[in-house]
Amino acid sequence: MAIDTGFPCSLTINVPFPDARLASVALRALRVDKELSPLVHRDLSTVAADNAKTDDDATVLRVEYKATTNRMLRVAVNSFMDSLSLVLEVMEEMDVDILECRKKEQIPS
Amino acid sequence: MSDIPMTKKRRIALGCEGSANKLGIGIISHDTLSGSPTVLSNVRDTFVSPPGTGFLPKDTARHHRSFFVRVAKQALRDAGISISEIDCICYTRGPGMGAPLTSVAIAARTLSLLWDKPLVGVNHCVGHIEMGRAITGASNPVVLYVSGGNTQVIAYAEQRYRIFGETLDIAVGNCLDRFARTLEISNDPAPGYNIEQLAKQSADNILLDLPYAVKGMDCSFSGILSRADELAAFMKQKAAKGEDTFTPADLCFSLQETVFAMLVEITERAMAHVGSNQVLIVGGVGCNERLQEMMGAMAAERGGSVYATDERFCIDNGIMIAHAGLLAYETGFRTPLEESTCTQRFRTDEVFVKWRD
Repeated sequence: MAIDTGFPCSLTINVPFPDARLASVALRALRVDKELSPLVHRDLSTVAADNAKTDDDATVLRVEYKATTNRMLRVAVNSFMDSLSLVLEVMEEMDVDILECRKKEQIPS
Repeated sequence: MSDIPMTKKRRIALGCEGSANKLGIGIISHDTLSGSPTVLSNVRDTFVSPPGTGFLPKDTARHHRSFFVRVAKQALRDAGISISEIDCICYTRGPGMGAPLTSVAIAARTLSLLWDKPLVGVNHCVGHIEMGRAITGASNPVVLYVSGGNTQVIAYAEQRYRIFGETLDIAVGNCLDRFARTLEISNDPAPGYNIEQLAKQSADNILLDLPYAVKGMDCSFSGILSRADELAAFMKQKAAKGEDTFTPADLCFSLQETVFAMLVEITERAMAHVGSNQVLIVGGVGCNERLQEMMGAMAAERGGSVYATDERFCIDNGIMIAHAGLLAYETGFRTPLEESTCTQRFRTDEVFVKWRD
């Protein structure tokens, strides 16, 4: 990625998901909120994993940050990681299949 | 409204609230034919900060993120429903604190996407009003909405909740909460609750001299807080020298009597203007029994009455968001995912109340 002289501090994070559906859910949930500061730019997308068999399966959430200073970059990325962590927890604990499965386990035989 | 199946006996909404330090998630059902609401679950967790401190946005947001899944799963368990029965996911769009609001919105969006259910953004104040109406059955009262973040006198007219009077600076609950910090009163379960209990201990109901700041239909609290803080500092200074003045209980009593009298005055003014004799008190400060008593005395003199809910509903909760959200949903209202942001400022009268005549 070419260095933007106005925003020299940059970081790319690739977050792998088990499937394209979950990567897409994360993308759509997280991209709604704009960055609070004009000194930070963020790009979110889903891409195929490096070792993907086909190019169609976009199972990786790619986050590209660039900021004017390292401090701004750190603050923005930390905040993103907190939000991502919440999305992941909701996915792990409350996806349709998990709740249905847990419900079945509670039914006495 | 063609996508709402009329064959279902009831419509169900999940509501998520996190505009201040309470994280609340509730599930409500509306009978399809009568619209009659039933609370299926109402779970809440409050972020309490140490005495002498208030809750800051970053810490509050962290609390909401940590507790969301726990509280949401409890709400689902208590309701005993399956995801397929849920019609929509409601969340607090605003007003309130930015980071906490957004943390809850992110989780709500995730559920909406995982479960493939539409989102409904709700105005926090309208949530309080609609829940108050539903629980108390008050048909068309003047509403006093008083909490840590809001102080408004509201009356319904032509599909808007119109603000008749409000605070010109800080909310009455904010005044009480910050004074609790000055006296280093515990924030558990809530600073206002502890001020109320301490006020009852004022030995001779000593009324100290505090400014009384009603401005027409509006009121102001920051000057009163400054004066109360000054008196508290004076009291501590004298106590350090072994000299008696008055007690923290006297200060709490005086503060409550003053600010509540102001609220009663501006509420009465709105009632006279609108020609109503019913008052509905909503919001966290509405739990205060002294306020209910003073408002009741005024309403009785006018041949009317006061309606108030208990702490399950007057303190911020998720069920009010689910209820107001479902009312909007039933008129066809939706919040597209790309627009499911939050806003710190969201006036009560910005909402088009399509579900009422």
